Amino acid sequence: MKDLLQRLTSIPGPSGREDQVRAFIQAELEDYCDELTVDTMGNLIAFKRGGKTKLQFAAHMDEIGVIVTAIDEQGFLRFGKIGGIRPHRLYAQRVRFQNGTVGVIGAEKIDDLKELTLEKLYIDIGATSAAEAKTKVSVGDIAAFDHEFVDLGQRVVAKALDDRVGCAVLIEALKRVSKPQNDLYCTFTVQEEVGLRGAKTAAFGIEPDLGIALDVTGTGDTPEAPKLAMKLGQGAAIKIKDVSLITHPQVKELLSTLAEQNGIPYQFEVLPFGGTDAGAIQLTKAGIPAGVISIPCRYLHSPSEMVDLNDVEAAVRLVVATMEHPVTL
Amino acid sequence: MPIATLLHDLSNAVGPSGREDRAAQIITDFFTSGEGRPWISNLHRDRLGNIILRKTGRGEQPPRIMLAAHLDEIGLIVTALEDGFIRFSTIGGIDQRVLLGQEVIVHGREDLPGVIGAKPPHLQQAGEGNNAVKIEDMTIDLGLSPERTAALVRVGDPITIKRRCCALKNSFYAGKAMDDRAGVVALVDCLRRLKDFNHEAEVLAVITVQEELGVRGAIVSAYGLNPDIGLAVDVTHGEMPGLADYEAFKLGQGPVIVTGPPVHPLIFDKLKAAAETGKIKYQVEATVTPRGTDAYAIQIAQAGVASGLVCIPLRYMHTSVETLALDDLKETGRLLAEFIMQIDHAFVEGLKCY
Repeated sequence: MKDLLQRLTSIPGPSGREDQVRAFIQAELEDYCDELTVDTMGNLIAFKRGGKTKLQFAAHMDEIGVIVTAIDEQGFLRFGKIGGIRPHRLYAQRVRFQNGTVGVIGAEKIDDLKELTLEKLYIDIGATSAAEAKTKVSVGDIAAFDHEFVDLGQRVVAKALDDRVGCAVLIEALKRVSKPQNDLYCTFTVQEEVGLRGAKTAAFGIEPDLGIALDVTGTGDTPEAPKLAMKLGQGAAIKIKDVSLITHPQVKELLSTLAEQNGIPYQFEVLPFGGTDAGAIQLTKAGIPAGVISIPCRYLHSPSEMVDLNDVEAAVRLVVATMEHPVTL
Repeated sequence: MPIATLLHDLSNAVGPSGREDRAAQIITDFFTSGEGRPWISNLHRDRLGNIILRKTGRGEQPPRIMLAAHLDEIGLIVTALEDGFIRFSTIGGIDQRVLLGQEVIVHGREDLPGVIGAKPPHLQQAGEGNNAVKIEDMTIDLGLSPERTAALVRVGDPITIKRRCCALKNSFYAGKAMDDRAGVVALVDCLRRLKDFNHEAEVLAVITVQEELGVRGAIVSAYGLNPDIGLAVDVTHGEMPGLADYEAFKLGQGPVIVTGPPVHPLIFDKLKAAAETGKIKYQVEATVTPRGTDAYAIQIAQAGVASGLVCIPLRYMHTSVETLALDDLKETGRLLAEFIMQIDHAFVEGLKCY
């Protein structure tokens, strides 16, 4: 699992530019499903036959990033954000473009951190002129955080664990599932960070009976943290509510019962901010019951997101248990 | 059942967004084994929990009207347990200023009475009393030990304000969840009035869920039903000291017919015409904010639905003493029934060509 997480998180894939992530997952899953398709939006759908109930699992391939909006005369790049990034998370970070170009984020002179806005930041790719910069980067090019994967033993740190850890959980579950009791539509979605956009069209096309997103959630287990119950290492989190979803009571019941029956450590989750693909799935067509299996994650939307492998394993087991349970809603 | 009794029962019933089952039971009982059974052709609950009450129209393909009033109320939800006290967040737009000192019910493994405590004034820093306490800093006290609390309450359990509906003078009623159980009562009253009429239009009265979280029930039910006309019934602000004339409406002066971007002009005209035919007093509200009622969702369902919005004036919205006049509720039911009886094929055809 560590190896899979390392390889997945090292790929740059901000929203709208998920192609390298998709190619990697396609290669991983070729031998583990009945059909692999890519839809118009770019969602990858791995289908595995198993029963009459249609389950859609969704993990998003995209990560947050930046997009070049202008190149000035000295060759500095101005940029906008892709997804929810706060300026203080960007300052002094390195970013990597899809062609491999690396830049550092600098700031204009500021006297007070409160003045730190996106407009005061720029990317320096080491170019000495606009002409030189344009040989490497164009307006509209998209970059992701450039940061190494770190193995801390039971815990790992990387950029883009939101939501490559969800992708890893789904890949691993598909490899492990032996007797699926439902038709499985494992969707690796695009553009979650810019408004749950891939999941919306994927769910419309699939029209599942139940949708389950696999994504990260915040924690309350760090110094002076927000008052949240979720902790690293306490198991998979079964979401009850976030901004996009209040979990269907039957879905909450299904997931918590399966966790208890299989001895899988779990915690309930209420997140007063953020949303996931499940929010889009539930509002598809005439309505689809939906829920989320979350992986607790510290330092969300930073280049150093941290997860605990016990929680990842618990999430894999809960996904497999759901796949192998004849679901009726 | 008198309309006031139904209003009482619904106002008192538990049903925060996403957890509407107990309030829903009152409606499903009323229409499957109660007085309302002969008023409708059938009742259906969709996958997100919307209750769809259908009354057939005339002919093979009658015009189809969807009415919508939302069943869910705003509430609270457990986010964490701390030394036997409960930390919580909101379900919907709760005003944190009105929470301190409230009695609540925590819907854990059983219903548990609780209170939202406040720091005594004696112990506050100078000036502390001038600022609203943030919801993150409030806790609920059940009187239980940390162990008992942990055994009975889990993260994600819903919490509602404990408040009994109270009859004021002059047939005014105050209580929680009038937004939008008042609209639900108006829909029920409309169906009662229609029971002996052989109207042309088919009526799909939808008691929607999760409105307070972003009109979610209306989004999916409107998609599923794909009606010709959509009519949301919700509440609007009632007059009170401190509000300007243009932002609030008089209690007891009849339903408020809304015009603006979420409303099809011909539906607005037809509602006014129906009011005049029925000699129903009404008020008019011009809205620039289409969000915030089910009409917004219905209007953009599928290829688009001609929508209207009728509101009941309500004072102190999103508090537990939401106050309304029963007469407005009855007149709203009458307006809806009058409107439905006037809808025919020709009118629906006309909606498509301005």
